Amino acid sequence: MVGIGFRRDFAGEFLESGKLTPDFIEVAPENWIGIGGYWMKEFRKALEKYPLFTHGLSLSIGSPDELDFGFLGKIKSFLDETGAQIYSEHLSFAKCDNAHLYDLLPIPFTEDAVRHVSQRIKTVQEFLERRLTIEIVSYYTPVAAEMKEIDFVNAILEEADCDLLLDVNNVYVNSFNHHYDARKFISQLPMNRVKYIHMAGHQQVSEDLIIDTHGQPIIDPVYELFEFTMKRLGRDVPVLLERDFNIPELEELQQEINMLREIKTRSLVKEHAYVA
Amino acid sequence: MLLKQDTKTAQSALANYCRTGILNDIPGVEDHRVHHYRRLVFNIIDDSLASAYPLTRNLLSVAEWDELVNEFFSSHPCQSPQVWTMPKEFYEYLIEVNHPLLTKYPFLQELLWMEWLEIEIYMMEDQKVNYQGSDISGIGKLVINPEHRLITLNYPVHLKQASQILPDDRGNYYLIMHREPVSGKVHFTDLSPFFTRMIEHLNSQTYRVDELIEMTARDFGMNVEKMVYENSLRFIENALNSKLILGFTN
Repeated sequence: MVGIGFRRDFAGEFLESGKLTPDFIEVAPENWIGIGGYWMKEFRKALEKYPLFTHGLSLSIGSPDELDFGFLGKIKSFLDETGAQIYSEHLSFAKCDNAHLYDLLPIPFTEDAVRHVSQRIKTVQEFLERRLTIEIVSYYTPVAAEMKEIDFVNAILEEADCDLLLDVNNVYVNSFNHHYDARKFISQLPMNRVKYIHMAGHQQVSEDLIIDTHGQPIIDPVYELFEFTMKRLGRDVPVLLERDFNIPELEELQQEINMLREIKTRSLVKEHAYVA
Repeated sequence: MLLKQDTKTAQSALANYCRTGILNDIPGVEDHRVHHYRRLVFNIIDDSLASAYPLTRNLLSVAEWDELVNEFFSSHPCQSPQVWTMPKEFYEYLIEVNHPLLTKYPFLQELLWMEWLEIEIYMMEDQKVNYQGSDISGIGKLVINPEHRLITLNYPVHLKQASQILPDDRGNYYLIMHREPVSGKVHFTDLSPFFTRMIEHLNSQTYRVDELIEMTARDFGMNVEKMVYENSLRFIENALNSKLILGFTN
């Protein structure tokens, strides 16, 4: 399955034209909870045609602040009412000192943060009565790091016993920004926990820095890393094409979806042939 | 709490930098890159507010707008986990601190209110109500569209370009904003006191057309003369066409 982020920028054309044929759609629950009117009608139309995956923005799993159970209750209702197949969120924080920031800030890679975040993931999973699929985020500077990113991520996955959303572009961005080998990083991840993959474009803003914009097409090195990941996985998992800004013609997005399908099929066929 | 104070302090310092632009020492942070977080976070706030309040954004000078957004974000802890409702906090913040811009532009509070209500009505959850499109019986009672807000204004922020509003424009204005059920678009209707009273009656319960006109006229100490009746009928017909009044019930 290859899906697309369902965005208001192209919702009408997407639903009417047939130019874009994903296998599922993904939304951020925060953008759809408590709304009605035109956009709820469009969303319902989309739900009639496509399975729904979700990718939250404001859970702030890495925050020093208390979890917001009122908000979590709304998430739970939304997931139940829409029949969402996956609830994923970011391994980051978006709220601190009782103030929302509406963006993803990096959690310090520390042992105490591992314990703190893991405990919160467990709490969320219990509250929602479903597994949380957590995404490794892109980051532009480490903050008070005492351990390696890979060790931090793996420790949380293990201690929280949650699933992993492997954003291949984020790994590429981070490997570029922080000078490590992306393939080696992916090889060290527990592949059995990968339940979902994200793919996206990015923008290089300086000689040594990439910003994860979701505003450009996927570049070839990220496709290559995706192929490497699929071969390593050796099984099918849903893949999402993220495009949040600078939205091109739908035909262009479809070409990217086709490319992802092709790579996925090719990688898995080869893997199966090798196994046989 | 499993988090050590040092970790919390580092997170707090980064969050504070994003909100205020003031960078205090954060262990391990790369100074030449951290500014991207401030830029990205602030752009989200600025874009969301500019998109929610285009008329206010247009009224204020660039410096006034930038200062205001900066002040709001650094002083006010945003409470909503949903970014689309955050602009309501901006409006509430200005009132709470009795912001000097509200004195400089006496109509600004109402302008912000109207702009926020447009979003609120456009986005609000669907309100279920039973009605029939036509009055077959001839004695049907009018059903108002519950997806509306009726507001009283001191300045004509819905009638004039904000930069053209003068102190002399101060008066009593009545505005109803409602969501058209099919397109979802928000319609703005300037009302006379008479039709405002009619809407208030319909908000309290359903009435037949003749009951509604008679009762409203009585409120104003008027007899239902031909002209009053015809004007009222025309208003009700227009309201039915625009779906401010959805239809009838028995």
